[in-house]
Amino acid sequence: MSATTSTRRHSVSAFLFEHARLRLALLLTAPLFWLGLVYIVALAALLVTAFWTVDSFTGEVRIEWTLDNIVTVLTASVYQSVTLRTVGIALLVTVIDILLALPIAFFMAKVAGPRLQRALVIAVLTPLWASYLVKAYSWRTVLSPEGLFAWLVEPIGGSSPGYGIPATVITLSYLWLPYVILPIYAGLERVPDSLLDASSDLGAKPWRTVRSVVLPLLYPAVIAGSIFSFSLTLGDYIAVSIVGGANQMLGNLVYTNVGTANNLPLAAAAALIPIAIIMVYLAAVRRTGALDNL
Amino acid sequence: MRRLNFRRSGALVGLAIASVAALTACGTAGGGSGGGASGAPTDELGDYEDAVSILAWPGYVEDGSNDPDVDWVTPFEEETGCQVTAKYYGTSDEALSLMKSGGYDVVAASGDLTLRLVAGDLVQPVNTDLIPNYENVYDFLKDKSWNSVDGQPYGVPHGYGANLLMYNTDVVQPAPTSWDVVFDRAAEFSGKVTAYDSPIYIADAAVYLMAHKPELGIENPYALDETQLAAAVDLLKAQRQHIGEYWGDYLKEIQAFESGTSVVGTTWQVIQNSITTGNTEVVLPEEGATGWSDTWMIASDAEAPNCAYAWLNYIASPEANAAATQYFGEAPSSQEACEFRDDCEAYHAGDAEYAEQIWYWSTPIAECLDGRTDVQCTDYSQWTAAWQEIKG
Amino acid sequence: MSAPAISLRGLRKEFGSVTAVDGVDLDIAQGEFFSMLGPSGSGKTTVLRLIAGFEQPTAGTIELFGEDVTSTAPFDRDVNTVFQDYALFPHLSVLENVAYGLRVRGMGKRERAERAREALEGVRLGGYGDRRPSALSGGQRQRVALARATVLRPKVLLLDEPLGALDLKLREQMQVELKQLQRSLGITFIFVTHDQEEALTLSDRVAVFNDGRIEQLGTPAEIYERPQSRFVATFVGTSNVLEGAVAAQLLGVPGTFALRPERITLADAPTGRDRAASGTIAEVVYLGTGRRIIVDLDAGLQLTVLEHTLGRDAASDAALRGTRVVAEWSDRDLVALDAAVPVTP
Repeated sequence: MSATTSTRRHSVSAFLFEHARLRLALLLTAPLFWLGLVYIVALAALLVTAFWTVDSFTGEVRIEWTLDNIVTVLTASVYQSVTLRTVGIALLVTVIDILLALPIAFFMAKVAGPRLQRALVIAVLTPLWASYLVKAYSWRTVLSPEGLFAWLVEPIGGSSPGYGIPATVITLSYLWLPYVILPIYAGLERVPDSLLDASSDLGAKPWRTVRSVVLPLLYPAVIAGSIFSFSLTLGDYIAVSIVGGANQMLGNLVYTNVGTANNLPLAAAAALIPIAIIMVYLAAVRRTGALDNL
Repeated sequence: MRRLNFRRSGALVGLAIASVAALTACGTAGGGSGGGASGAPTDELGDYEDAVSILAWPGYVEDGSNDPDVDWVTPFEEETGCQVTAKYYGTSDEALSLMKSGGYDVVAASGDLTLRLVAGDLVQPVNTDLIPNYENVYDFLKDKSWNSVDGQPYGVPHGYGANLLMYNTDVVQPAPTSWDVVFDRAAEFSGKVTAYDSPIYIADAAVYLMAHKPELGIENPYALDETQLAAAVDLLKAQRQHIGEYWGDYLKEIQAFESGTSVVGTTWQVIQNSITTGNTEVVLPEEGATGWSDTWMIASDAEAPNCAYAWLNYIASPEANAAATQYFGEAPSSQEACEFRDDCEAYHAGDAEYAEQIWYWSTPIAECLDGRTDVQCTDYSQWTAAWQEIKG
Repeated sequence: MSAPAISLRGLRKEFGSVTAVDGVDLDIAQGEFFSMLGPSGSGKTTVLRLIAGFEQPTAGTIELFGEDVTSTAPFDRDVNTVFQDYALFPHLSVLENVAYGLRVRGMGKRERAERAREALEGVRLGGYGDRRPSALSGGQRQRVALARATVLRPKVLLLDEPLGALDLKLREQMQVELKQLQRSLGITFIFVTHDQEEALTLSDRVAVFNDGRIEQLGTPAEIYERPQSRFVATFVGTSNVLEGAVAAQLLGVPGTFALRPERITLADAPTGRDRAASGTIAEVVYLGTGRRIIVDLDAGLQLTVLEHTLGRDAASDAALRGTRVVAEWSDRDLVALDAAVPVTP
């Protein structure tokens, strides 16, 4: 009995061994199906919905082809100003995160000893274990007029920025920092120490080494990190509604269009804005050649 | 350019409504012309199901878990055996999404939502003969545009109240009597003004304009033609400069007033009741206010219609209605309920004339609610677009 | 006499609880080809890194041409390094790699390109300037690394196992090139290697490192012919070590002695050299240029013998196993390792 099963099993593996293409097909079917369904179909559905219309009273989506949603999104001043604000915030968050992540990652990868290094990696990862909402609401408390931030800066004559764009930038920078540190840290790990020694040996002072050797080599990792912080910020609407005061970002427009206006097509059209921006960003990055090294 | 764009989409929306109305009319056999497609209401009730799922404003379905002394769900469960599951929503728009996703038997809907639920065929007409406590409900709450269609009730009135003006007594002095503190005088509290985060808040501006700019000729804050809407939008855009944050989540407003982030703005009585710092006060300003008159409705695809009817009857009973409306801070739906409350005076319960002063939330539609036929009014989708533009 | 190129005094380096360099005193003359030889972990590379400035010594001083540079940063030291893994910058072209040092010194674009091109031609890579390092072979990368380090015309060039990654043929070729380069530049080369043959063939002087200390310092001939310790005797080349009872029996003197395998001759019967010991052939290993024969001496020692035998028939080697032989050597070939009395015939 068991002999037969084992023979059968052997013959199956032997069969698969001889038929490499079939083996590959079996291996890839599930992930490819997933990729196709989740990424392509979902994106395509979104794209298509943007060209439909909605019954404004009942909120029913009707399949009636129109460019109105796209036109609205492209021409309405609210979309233009909110897009500008969102991109501005995303760029600012990305720059802040990169500026913070570079020294932290450098310290982790090249300065700290093995034990400290492990502790730092855990410290960077720990905030990821906490809920997004908990972190965002923590910042709401920290930045409130009588919060920790005000308490810290009041002795030196500062005050809390209150709820608004600065608070949003602070909160989002905090939220996405681990996503920027980790790829840069991984990228630095791949830079051999001998390159830094060599640069120094050839007469480069530390800052020069960072500029001429470390940063160019880290460029793909920095780009990878920036894609995280940039695209996550572009799509965010929760942080700004918690600490952003009266401001709204693209995500809020999408959310209002779905939640308040029940206008899924318009929401889909609005959602195309961040997608388009990310595409432009990736294309720009691609032109610099950074993606070749990824 | 922008305006032109709105007009075009407005026209399109009007067209859309007309076509849907035509469609529903065709598909409806016996119901009213604007009614849902589900036909006549139930004639009789069967046995109670095991559970009932309720979608409501916060504070409407209290089972003692927030405050052990506040519990009107447990007696209902004991009486009927229907286990209650409650879900709270923050805005009428959120409730509409949730209702569309299905899974709820009963919904407590404000006037800016009810007609959308009816038009979307998400709720069913209600046979009030099966609800003994309906009889006690104030007459001035029955057969209103936001709870009935062509005389056919779509639910049971619950309670009503006004969107009040809340202020921080340390900062806003003397005590305000007008909405001007959040509009023309908002600069005095710049960065600490708050407002309700929903397109329906445009009606608050319209109420203010009714008193301060009579030349606009606003008769009903939910029936605004394009000029009137533009005036309201301008007012709100000016207000926007001084808004600290908008609130859609009542917990967020509680925290904002407690921490001093907001010092003046619209609120509900229940928020004032929840604030523990003691330095806030609420007032119904002289211009009047928008408000709500909520209706308990039954989902058209309710899985537990018998429990749903039982809940509608129960929550209209004097004792339960008194408990629920007192907790939320609104007037009850019947004079009998006032016997279980000692604060009916404060809410002007039963005062039909006062009740008329509150502009209950209604869904703005193209067909002007104030009866004008010479112009087309702006509908909710235009309000939504306007609201997004105001927030900027 | 001018100051030595490098002067190390009491140099110590500890990494945590590990002592990598344990008190090194060393002077390296100008223009010298100096090798630091030792097994891995012997501290030779650490000494090199201390000289380059990549590490700070725990104690001791480092002088370059009489100037104390102990706490000078690497970029301010007039030495350059060729790294074991070459450490070429992957994001720069070959020419840019070579010009890097000139660039950070602020030399103009045209001039540094000119100098870098010359340096590349000097290592026979004239046409490779536009390539990326990843497009080069190991030997070519090695030469780029050399060009990059020498284009700055340092007074001292540090080479950290630069030939370790190359195959034998290329290594031998590069050894020759290195030697020629050192002669033509006339600068001090400090060469770290674990390959004793490389050290012996290239160097003017060799320091043998063991356990963070210099075990022996001298010319290649001194190191090879006159090892002063058992470690040097066995690490540099192969040595038979005669000690204890075996030494007493064979030599009549108690002590420890090293005896190079090529100094021993084998014969069927004694031929009259200073010493003779009989034994049985245990193993014969054919080496091409000769053969290595392991003899089990009756005295209880296994002796390695190297025979340069030209034109012998390899097939007959196996037949030698088990044959009785007499191993003979001269007293002057014995090296006393424990400062013992010289052997008297």
